[in-house]
Amino acid sequence: MARALEGVRVIDLTVWFQGPVSAQYLADFGAEVIKVERPQGGDQARGVRSIKSLEIGDWNQYFLVINRNKKSLVIDLRKPEGQQIMYRLVEKADVFLSNMSPELLEGWGLSWDKLRAINPRLVYATNTGYGRFGGVSRPSFDMTVQALTGIMARLGEPGEPPIYLGMGSGDAYGGIMSAFAIATALYQRNRCGHGQCIDASLYGAQLYLGAPQLQAYLAGNEDRALQHSLRAAPNPLWNLYPTRGKWVYVCERNEDARFALLAEAFGDAALANDPRFADADRRANNNTALIDALDALAGALDHEALLAALELRGLACAAVNTLADVIRDQQAWDNDYLMKAWCEEVRREVEVRGLPVTLSKTPGQIDSLGPQLGQDTELLMMDLLEYSWDEIEAFKAAGAIP
Amino acid sequence: MSGALDDIVVLDLTRNFASSMSAAFLADFGARVIRLETLHDAAAPLETADSPRPGAWNHEADLIHRNKQSVRIDVHGERGRAVLDDLAARCDVILTDWLLPELEAVGLDYASASARRADVIVARISGFGPRGKDRELPPIDELAAARTGMMPILPQPGQPPVYTGAGAMHSAVLLAFGILTALVHRQATGEGQQVDTSLFAANMYGASLDLQAFLAIGKGDRLLNPISRLDVSNPMSGALYPSADGRWVTLTMPDTDRWWPEFSRAVGIATDDPRFDTHEKRCETNRLALIHELEAAFARQPGSHWRALFAEKGMSADIIERFDYPANDPQALANRYIIELDHPTHGPVKSLGFPIYMSESPARLASLAPCRGQHTAQVLRELLDYPAETIHELGTQGVIA
Repeated sequence: MARALEGVRVIDLTVWFQGPVSAQYLADFGAEVIKVERPQGGDQARGVRSIKSLEIGDWNQYFLVINRNKKSLVIDLRKPEGQQIMYRLVEKADVFLSNMSPELLEGWGLSWDKLRAINPRLVYATNTGYGRFGGVSRPSFDMTVQALTGIMARLGEPGEPPIYLGMGSGDAYGGIMSAFAIATALYQRNRCGHGQCIDASLYGAQLYLGAPQLQAYLAGNEDRALQHSLRAAPNPLWNLYPTRGKWVYVCERNEDARFALLAEAFGDAALANDPRFADADRRANNNTALIDALDALAGALDHEALLAALELRGLACAAVNTLADVIRDQQAWDNDYLMKAWCEEVRREVEVRGLPVTLSKTPGQIDSLGPQLGQDTELLMMDLLEYSWDEIEAFKAAGAIP
Repeated sequence: MSGALDDIVVLDLTRNFASSMSAAFLADFGARVIRLETLHDAAAPLETADSPRPGAWNHEADLIHRNKQSVRIDVHGERGRAVLDDLAARCDVILTDWLLPELEAVGLDYASASARRADVIVARISGFGPRGKDRELPPIDELAAARTGMMPILPQPGQPPVYTGAGAMHSAVLLAFGILTALVHRQATGEGQQVDTSLFAANMYGASLDLQAFLAIGKGDRLLNPISRLDVSNPMSGALYPSADGRWVTLTMPDTDRWWPEFSRAVGIATDDPRFDTHEKRCETNRLALIHELEAAFARQPGSHWRALFAEKGMSADIIERFDYPANDPQALANRYIIELDHPTHGPVKSLGFPIYMSESPARLASLAPCRGQHTAQVLRELLDYPAETIHELGTQGVIA
């Protein structure tokens, strides 16, 4: 099967999550992604042993999934000889991607100015914490950057602590933003022949995670910065209700006909005749009273019963599931959002996150999970970089490669 | 400098914020994005708490439809359909969140569109994916999020599930990435294709780490139920502590060995306190004791104190802010993440800008949202080469507006 990004060679000098997942998207669609790692332990994510205090088991699903379909090349970039190897790789690459700080890259002789002089066709991509301009450069992790965007502080019930959007939520978003930027720059490069410097930062991406609310705030709607209770939802027909089992999300417009059906499904058709809830304005103005009434009705039902009653009447609804439900959700498997892949480390098939975006004629695929540290070093040095065996021995003696 | 995508024409058939935003991302980089307004559309747009107030600046349209053109066509009449066919034949990309039967009804599904133009790319955000029994469910992000397993574990224990809206924004960029990947493939081969993502997929990928962990481990109450902030796995990473003025402190220093000497001094705990002098003691044996010590320590000083200290020591830690912070952050302005613009009616306003920096083909703000049908005549003239009298006639017959 043809691959959309066949022939695109990517240098992936990234660690942890945002950068690696960005390159993963390119690798899934057939780019040749060469992960360049330090000799001492490589990407720090190789060392992950537990998640939320849970042992990760016999394979490192954190590292191996986002580094799938990649090769691993170990170079000591602190050594001038290591930098020489990198320069030869740059000559033969289409994309250079790193989530190291611009200062560190400069120190290793890997600035945009240096690399564009070697290869003017190169797309030079960084994932900074806070952007390339404005002077802020300090350690940045998903959650400390998310903290600044305002998106955490507006979630949850009033008075409760802010809500983090989930482990890796910001990195994942920065990662796809970066992949989109790289593909755009490649398209432009193929048209005009020259590369450019691009950046997709954690801060820039995460400001967009709350775009509808932040944009409303910028327009003067200061209320959107604040936490709001479910019990004060402006449209009670578009809200979460607790049953005896799971919570149920109902998503309907505030219209009389829909409300009559909803009241029936909740088991109290008479609610539709209550003068407090007689039309859309009254339901909005008496929202808390209506939500209390619906809460009480839902609380007497099992979620299966409520969902069945809602669906029977054509009302949009879903149970609030747990991860245990998701991994068994046939819809996810049918669409390759979850897939099986061979894991060399444990010599068996394992279940992994699949392909969230699919192309009909050039679908992504998983050929291999993450590489062992340095597994492709010698082969790449010989075949791609065309060093002689004597040169390779000299690089080893200098400590540039292991 | 030119736009990276200025040779691309996109037909925008979108209703939801995120899918419209996806098309705007392409327009930001120079694509000619033509938004189709149907003359007799049934459903009015959904009002939300984020929607503009009557008479106020339409901040939403000026974000999600910026740099676009608008055409109005009666797509249900025969002549309107012929105009739409001509238009679709000139479009490289059709970007949509419509349901398949709706697309088929106006001949903009992939089979019809590719019969008209073989190299077209039809890109769609659905609710739950193009395959499987739920492929026809409506694209409502709340329903996709509810099904994705993260909502129950985001809040503190005992609190209601939390809907974030992040999944929808994820879908916007997934689709844009898919389109660009398909365009790069088309450059090489001349081949068009369908691109698909869904709100379900996007929510799953926003929750990727927890989901992947549960998929691999297959069990774990800590992945199914909320974890109290007083029970976090690493007191120095992913934790939340209230400061003296109620502002929240958050820390991400997973490598506690590296940070402990400086960090312990900063918060006033003896560095050699035997309860906390190894990573294992900090994160396992005496984890809860350390959380309580830090809870007490951070409550002694206001947020501003902690921010200054974190900055001085270069620690990966910060104060949790509200929207006023990015709105007034020089760093956000310097990188054009937030921009100031002079609105013709509402004067100087701030808007979300551009999340991506490109040195040679930067994102542009060429125009704000178009009025409905503002470019109908222009597009028919420039792109479809319709003579002026035909355009006039279509207008008087109510085929276009």
